Amino acid sequence: MKMLKTLIRVITDKRLMLLFRLVLGITFIYASLDKIANPDQFARIIYNYHILPHFLINIYAVTLPWVEFLAGLFLILGVFIESASLLISFLLLVFVVAISINLYRGVNLNCGCFSTDPAGTKEGAKLLIKDFVFLFLGIMIFFFNKSYVSLSVLIQKKSPANP
Amino acid sequence: MPQRPKLTRIILRSVIIIIIGSTVGLVYNTFSSKGITLKGSWSSKLTSDSVIVPYSYQKDDPPAVSLDYVQMKFQSSKVIFLDARMPVDFKAGHIKGAINLPYEEFEQFSPQVLPKLPVNEEIIAYCDGSECEASLLLSRELRDLGYRNVKIFFGGWSEWQMAGLLIETGE
Repeated sequence: MKMLKTLIRVITDKRLMLLFRLVLGITFIYASLDKIANPDQFARIIYNYHILPHFLINIYAVTLPWVEFLAGLFLILGVFIESASLLISFLLLVFVVAISINLYRGVNLNCGCFSTDPAGTKEGAKLLIKDFVFLFLGIMIFFFNKSYVSLSVLIQKKSPANP
Repeated sequence: MPQRPKLTRIILRSVIIIIIGSTVGLVYNTFSSKGITLKGSWSSKLTSDSVIVPYSYQKDDPPAVSLDYVQMKFQSSKVIFLDARMPVDFKAGHIKGAINLPYEEFEQFSPQVLPKLPVNEEIIAYCDGSECEASLLLSRELRDLGYRNVKIFFGGWSEWQMAGLLIETGE
């Protein structure tokens, strides 16, 4: 019992939450930059998933990277941490579903073609595992955030009028 | 004013992040030199010969041919079929007599395969179906290498198989 309590205290430690925020935030910003720089290539990738209706593909390709960027930035800065982590977790859940559907359908996400090539499946599975790890970080931040080293706490301290 | 329940406030702020992010994205896209049109053309098109081609097919690309044409050529056997899919898919089944040149591994395969392809011979490239692009990209590559008589069968393996035409498996 004591060990369990210690374990919970360790994995919900405020410094660990800060680390999670930084890792997830930097990952999302990093991932968004390439998509922002090459919207045409990103749109092509979305097309390869064969999930979104065609008229939504380009709009999604133009807007999603900036939402990712902003959510990542907020996590790092410590502004609206719960909202940013909730949004990121939701996005990751969408990615997990999209990748799973295509793994099931046998679509190689590199080319958007149907293939039995195990290399494509392996890559999809790798992507899935990565997203699950990030999803775990997002959920942990959402539930155990203590706003350690964050802008929101700083602002609250500066203005005592704020309850 | 009564305070909203905490979760509602969190969700509301998430929506605000989405709205701000999307707005920035739309504005950035309008002014960026690499911006794209919001309504992309992702649907398959029809050529003047009523062949369905993918959205990325250009007018100056190698000609797209129909199943009827491919079938006629197959019977006259004066044509080389080039399968642009990955080797595993090729081994699982392909048009009888086809040669495998996977586009994704072009560099690795081309030294052995290209010598088997006479420059002036008619070559028909295909991949799994109208949604795949490997045949298009492969045929562009071949055209740039000087192959003058390359055509693309976009119906590909799926159309050939559905028509119940001759196939073979293995290498």
